[in-house]
Amino acid sequence: MATFAKSTEISSRVRSAANAWLVSCIIVGGISGAYMLYQLTSVGHAAFNTSSDGVNWGLPIATYVFFALTSSGLSMIASLAMVFGFKQFYPIVKRCIWLAIITLASGFAVLAFELGHPFRMLWAMPTGMQVASPMFWMGVFYTIDLVLLIIKFYLIMQDDWHSNLSKLIGVASFVAVILASGMLGLLFGSVAMRPMWFGSFTSIYYMLTAALCGAAAIVVTTYMAFDFDNRNMPDELRALAESDQLPKVFATLIGITLVMIVTRMWTGLWSNLDGLEGFHVLIRSPLFWIEFLLGLVLPFWMMLQPGMQVRMQPQMIAAFLVLGGMFINRYEFIVSGQVVPMFKGTWVNSLEPYFPSTTEWAMAIFGLAVALGGYAIGEKLFHLSATPNHTTQNKLAGAAA
Amino acid sequence: MAKWGMVIDLEKCTGCQACTIACGMENSRLPGEHWQDVIFFQEGEYPNAEIKWFPRPCMHCENPSCVAVCPVRATYKAEDGQVLIDWERCIGCKYCMIACPYGVRFYTEEKATYGGPNMKDVFKSEDAHSWSPPWKMPQEDWKHGVGVQPHDVVSKCTFCFHRVSKAPKGTVDFDPQNPATREYTPACVVTCSPGARFFGDLSNPNSEVNRQIAYKNGVRLLDHLGNKPQVYYLTGEGGSVPATRSLKKI
Repeated sequence: MATFAKSTEISSRVRSAANAWLVSCIIVGGISGAYMLYQLTSVGHAAFNTSSDGVNWGLPIATYVFFALTSSGLSMIASLAMVFGFKQFYPIVKRCIWLAIITLASGFAVLAFELGHPFRMLWAMPTGMQVASPMFWMGVFYTIDLVLLIIKFYLIMQDDWHSNLSKLIGVASFVAVILASGMLGLLFGSVAMRPMWFGSFTSIYYMLTAALCGAAAIVVTTYMAFDFDNRNMPDELRALAESDQLPKVFATLIGITLVMIVTRMWTGLWSNLDGLEGFHVLIRSPLFWIEFLLGLVLPFWMMLQPGMQVRMQPQMIAAFLVLGGMFINRYEFIVSGQVVPMFKGTWVNSLEPYFPSTTEWAMAIFGLAVALGGYAIGEKLFHLSATPNHTTQNKLAGAAA
Repeated sequence: MAKWGMVIDLEKCTGCQACTIACGMENSRLPGEHWQDVIFFQEGEYPNAEIKWFPRPCMHCENPSCVAVCPVRATYKAEDGQVLIDWERCIGCKYCMIACPYGVRFYTEEKATYGGPNMKDVFKSEDAHSWSPPWKMPQEDWKHGVGVQPHDVVSKCTFCFHRVSKAPKGTVDFDPQNPATREYTPACVVTCSPGARFFGDLSNPNSEVNRQIAYKNGVRLLDHLGNKPQVYYLTGEGGSVPATRSLKKI
């Protein structure tokens, strides 16, 4: 009875935290979405600051990449328990999968508003079958990923964690997410005429930084669900939150990202190759240093300190900083890769300036509100802290009552 | 099956930009949306600095990266070697613009390039066209990217597909001086007063374009990228094309 009472009390706290988030997201998403729609219907895509003469892909694409990769990362974190058997991660699996669905949907929503003819894509891609295009495969793999995520979530809702089907879907989903995030990297990595992106490194970079974003997102959202208070958490989840397991994974991923950023920067600054001048712009940009020092180095240091690893506040701060840093990273990666102009005309600048328009900012905020709002809905409706044991306990408690 | 190609003799080119204007008029282009542009650049430093230039149409590459990246096959290589866009398939993702090394592609929905009024607002379209210019080309063929384009698609030079595709079968050289081929010749070639442009069949060893390339050592822009343009430049003694894209503003 005591377990049941505690569970009910926790559920009500979770719901009230989720309600607050949902209301905020509806307000913010409603305002930004309305502004964006007004601009897109009255001005069209000319409301963007992108141009044929300079930066073709701007903040909306960076936002899409951020969400798509965060979704991939969340799937990867869920796979720690579902595929690789690290049982201590079970308490975050369901939340990871729901968040992966929602962040991917947010990414797709932002992309749909960025594209000229998003609905045309639905028939033109399958009838075109351009298998040489990385974007074609990205679409295929992310669609498979989304379908598998939905099936996986449905199975968990049915309390099916360990059946053969569940395991098969788990493995297939992991493979799909590796292919999807890798393909998103190859979308940039395939184009030799954009040397800042070119190479298979971009694919690896996207996969590993996806995992980092996933780890950061799950830390933030788990605490968010329990109103930033460990005491509200179910025992299993609190045990995970107060252990150094997830922070260790987190610190390792930040470390790998730092190594990749430094090595990429080195080759970029060192080489005289035409088109790499963007690295010199990047290193002079204050945004890059905010991303590097505040968004990666500081959280890395924090997550290496034994005293900080197991405490909620440092974990939260580190995760927030990483998410912010990685958002800047996606933006800078995409924009700096385009600042060296192609042969556009005499009046072309030596390096292209770009700053997102209000509409582009509104799209990014809209995407964030959709992601957080969708997450809050999941928290209200689906009991995202469920685990194989917890679900069984609940059932027993329910039967006893 | 022909393989249409262009040769531009930079020794003859005066940089007058008549080709840019002719292309704009022929293809109903917006100001600034120069499918055919002339790029001026600086070589050397004071006191030995020189201004050079080269016209830049679409290169209609043999290995077009824009075609390979298009997720919906909206951009494609036509039978006779032109790289074209089907405006009824294009989803406006701009990936082709990212993958084109020559910057020859233009997205319709953008802020006006020049400081002046936005022509799309001045000459608003009442139908699916992105704008309604006061004078427009009589031909319209969205499957081949010809005419005034619809909203939210990418556009580019077609090698004047609407003219060239009507040429009698077996045409090898398009000579604007020859009344038999003049009306089929691309507008930029017809208008070029110093006769710096040649258009013809690269697959025919006896074509004028092949003769020019062989006699005057034709070169291709950014050849190291492997796209193999079907536009060649004859640099001779006076002309040159830049080896890199890091152009200085002049």
